[in-house]
Amino acid sequence: MSAVTSLRKAAAPPEPDAKPGLLSTRRGRKGLAIVVLAAVFIPLAIALGGSGSWPNDLTVDVRTPLDDSYQWVADNRDSNPVFTYFLLHLANNSTSAVDGVLSFLELLGWPGSIALFTAIAYFAAGSARKGAKVAGIALFAFGVCGLLDMWEPAMETMALMTVAVAVSAVVGLLLGLASGLSDRWETILRPVFDTMQIMPAYAYLLPCVLIFDIGSPAVLLATVIYAAPPMARLTALGLRAADPAAMEASASLGASRMQRLRTARLPLARKEMMLGLNQTIMMALSMVVIGSVVGAAGLGDEVFKGLARVDVGQAAVPGICIVLIAIWLDRTTAAAGERLDEATGGGGPSWLPPAVIAAVTVAGAVLAGALGKKEWPEGWTVDLTGPIRDAVEWFTDNLGAGVPVLGGTQTWSEGFTDWVLNPLRDGLQSSPWWLLVLLAAALGLLVGTWHSALVAALAMSGIGVLGLWSKTLDTLSQVLGGIALTLVLGFAIGILVARSERVERLVRPVLDALQTLPQFIYLIPVAALFGAVRTAAIFAAVAYALPAVIRITAQGIKQVDPAAVEASRSLGASTFQQLRQVQLPLARPALLLAVNQGIVLVLAVVVIGGLIGGGALGYDVVYGLQKSEFGIGLGAGVAIVLLGLVLDRVTQPTVLKQRKNS
Amino acid sequence: MTTTGSAEHTPPARGRSPQSDTSEAEAAPADAAPVFSVRNLWKVFGPKADKIPGGPHAGLPPAELRKTTGCTAAVRDVSFDVKKGEVFVVMGLSGSGKSTLVRCLTRLIEPTSGSVHIDGEDVIAMDKNRLRELRRHRTAMVFQNFGLLPHRTVFDNIAYGLEIQGMGKAERRAKAQEMAAKVGLEGLGERRPRQLSGGQQQRVGLARALAVDPEVLLFDEPFSALDPLIRRDMQEEVIRLHSEEGRTMIFITHDLSEALRVGDRIMLMRDGGIVQMGTPEEIVGSPADDYVRDFVRDVPREQVMTVRSAMRPADGDEAGTGVALPPETLVSEAIEAVARSGEHARVMDEGKVLGVVDHERLLGVVAGLPAEAAAA
Repeated sequence: MSAVTSLRKAAAPPEPDAKPGLLSTRRGRKGLAIVVLAAVFIPLAIALGGSGSWPNDLTVDVRTPLDDSYQWVADNRDSNPVFTYFLLHLANNSTSAVDGVLSFLELLGWPGSIALFTAIAYFAAGSARKGAKVAGIALFAFGVCGLLDMWEPAMETMALMTVAVAVSAVVGLLLGLASGLSDRWETILRPVFDTMQIMPAYAYLLPCVLIFDIGSPAVLLATVIYAAPPMARLTALGLRAADPAAMEASASLGASRMQRLRTARLPLARKEMMLGLNQTIMMALSMVVIGSVVGAAGLGDEVFKGLARVDVGQAAVPGICIVLIAIWLDRTTAAAGERLDEATGGGGPSWLPPAVIAAVTVAGAVLAGALGKKEWPEGWTVDLTGPIRDAVEWFTDNLGAGVPVLGGTQTWSEGFTDWVLNPLRDGLQSSPWWLLVLLAAALGLLVGTWHSALVAALAMSGIGVLGLWSKTLDTLSQVLGGIALTLVLGFAIGILVARSERVERLVRPVLDALQTLPQFIYLIPVAALFGAVRTAAIFAAVAYALPAVIRITAQGIKQVDPAAVEASRSLGASTFQQLRQVQLPLARPALLLAVNQGIVLVLAVVVIGGLIGGGALGYDVVYGLQKSEFGIGLGAGVAIVLLGLVLDRVTQPTVLKQRKNS
Repeated sequence: MTTTGSAEHTPPARGRSPQSDTSEAEAAPADAAPVFSVRNLWKVFGPKADKIPGGPHAGLPPAELRKTTGCTAAVRDVSFDVKKGEVFVVMGLSGSGKSTLVRCLTRLIEPTSGSVHIDGEDVIAMDKNRLRELRRHRTAMVFQNFGLLPHRTVFDNIAYGLEIQGMGKAERRAKAQEMAAKVGLEGLGERRPRQLSGGQQQRVGLARALAVDPEVLLFDEPFSALDPLIRRDMQEEVIRLHSEEGRTMIFITHDLSEALRVGDRIMLMRDGGIVQMGTPEEIVGSPADDYVRDFVRDVPREQVMTVRSAMRPADGDEAGTGVALPPETLVSEAIEAVARSGEHARVMDEGKVLGVVDHERLLGVVAGLPAEAAAA
């Protein structure tokens, strides 16, 4: 509490007639505040708990109550009215919805299902040429799913996705309408969405398991919570950004409130809403796949089984299917979004597309019925597991170590562990706890505001109170190692992309593809290349965070006022001088945003890395889920969220916040 | 008050009948009952805005008002009448309150105090439904940024107001086609606004406003976003529409030459208040203060002033000779006539000689000499 009061004291506004000098600048004031804070806080902290790790006296046992509550839920699930009359119905309904979709797809048989997905893709894209392309992707994606003997898990995933996306989209739309149309809702919902955006997907699963136990209802709930916010955010954004001139024109013609919403505000937000739907679908896929950890059937489960056995061949085959489905979903929704831009309305009556989709689907189903083959024919499959396994083996044998000059993946991994990760972890773990809390506060203050400093310090202390201090620092060291690598690579590539058209043309499709993939997928190749070690998860995190960092960096540099660059060039500045003196300083807000985004994304994957030897908090979550040690799992989950809060607050610049608020 | 008869002169610019009455709105003759009648209108933005009008701070200049009260008076104590069939121009620089003023007329922005009447009916007292009816049927507005709906075709945009009124699909489509033809958008009906040029987009905005057949058309800087050449086209279009239909128009602009071109009367605003109100000729010929004088300095006066204000009484036998010109003749046209004939011209109205203009008088107008000085 002393930290809080001294923060308040120091936060008092400075005297208006303060002498010029150190105190007259904002940064000077902040620096002084930090010194004062340290002077009060450090002696107090030493007296309280000494140096080194978080003092035991200050921890609270959360495991026992959590375990007890889990036990209570487990005991009362069948008797407590809240469960029997509400949650049980919810669970049953969601299970039967998923089952219903699944049996519908089974009824269609594989020809009918493929016809359905292909036709949807075709009409979503609108124009014939683009439609044919997207339809081709659909055909290919599901054809490969069948060929690789993954038809059934693929359909299970699709069934879960259908229900999850439908519910997320509706929930997101309603929340978006509320926060787009009402300022009161906006002030309530926005901080919630902001916080949800920084939470790793992983952290959502455990509370849902507490309520619904392991199985698809828990996954559905987690998916809706995870995937609805982008729809809501973007809907609200679109509604609020509606062209004021058009809205005023509507009002000037005497439109009522409802008329204005229906004829102007909603249609004007269509593009944002479509983008929101795209993001919701991609995030839902990500979560549905991760949901295999808590018992969702489907492709994710196949990957999970493979990873659990460290059998990359077995994990890679469903992984390929997930990638293809992700690309299909992304391209279809993106094409539907682009269609909104196109000028002329599609030819033909509006009832035609649904009619054709239905007709094609029925034809496929009838064909399947006539052939008597609704399941994917057994003879038509190719087993890639073996070849992939062999390839990985060859790879580890030949490229793992001993490649002249370069070393090899294992060597890199070991080097990174020995030279970066271990020193970082040991350094963090041997630092006095109060120093780290103070550091979090100081960083939060320097980068952001008093508010972010306070949140960072409290969240950091919260981790200590949970008794997960040293495990969290282990995870933190992985995140820091990962973000360092991400930023070095990301800024370098980002600058290249911004400066060279050719590099951009080369890199862009790769970035597009990488950004659509679910987090889970990144674990498969790194497990193959580096084995099940900490570094594997970190490299996966780097690969996951890199596209966003590159994109934001490149955009930031490109948006620098061309006149400023031209002026510097006209003064004879070299390329490097232009970059250092003009472009990078002016792109600073974008670079800070890249750090913030990168760190959040790295954390999300580092904790999933618990599945492939990442250890620390991520492993605790998996362990808790698998051994029904709920206290351990949820404790670790809370620590992950707190760590996410700390990392977000100490990297979220004030300007960013202001822009968000305005 | 024959403002509607503006078609009697064709080239090169619109001739106007000079007004005998002063700029005082109260002096309007009874036979032309005002369409819009505005009295002591205030719009104040800021904390406790309603305390400003009539309060102790009412007279403060804008900067001081802001400093002492934190409020900005966008419209301060404005009174005027808009007569039936005239083009009433509100002109001022950005921030002068003209756009706020026009929005107060249909309460798109709620005025802080004062009264607004349309055809004698109190707009401020209207309830929600009545106000909606007013906006649906009696007024229509054309906006600077067009305010078109990008997801609708041109036809659907034009018919938007009719759709809001609840008109059936076939009927409003027919009407939209008619309006599209009227503003020169034939063959573009199925396009989207994005595919049109700026000028065409504003034609859609104009057609949308005309489609509801309003009693008053409100223009809020409609052509400011357009290229100069297109702007001229559109001004001609408005002038043409006005001469064909004689619809009452309230026209907001920051462009003096536009104001002079389209306006029957001009109200000049500054810092929310009225600086001067009168015909273009009155504004240019006798500016009320230095601010207005500065404003009209570069105006080609011979294009605005008429011989009525340039003439002097006939001397001796002058009344018997010289070319006869109607009093609405522009000075620029008179110069041509006088130069051709080499002698003075007579200003004649219904066979009566009102006065004469000669080289000296006409050059005095071009040079911007005060009328008294030239007369002396």
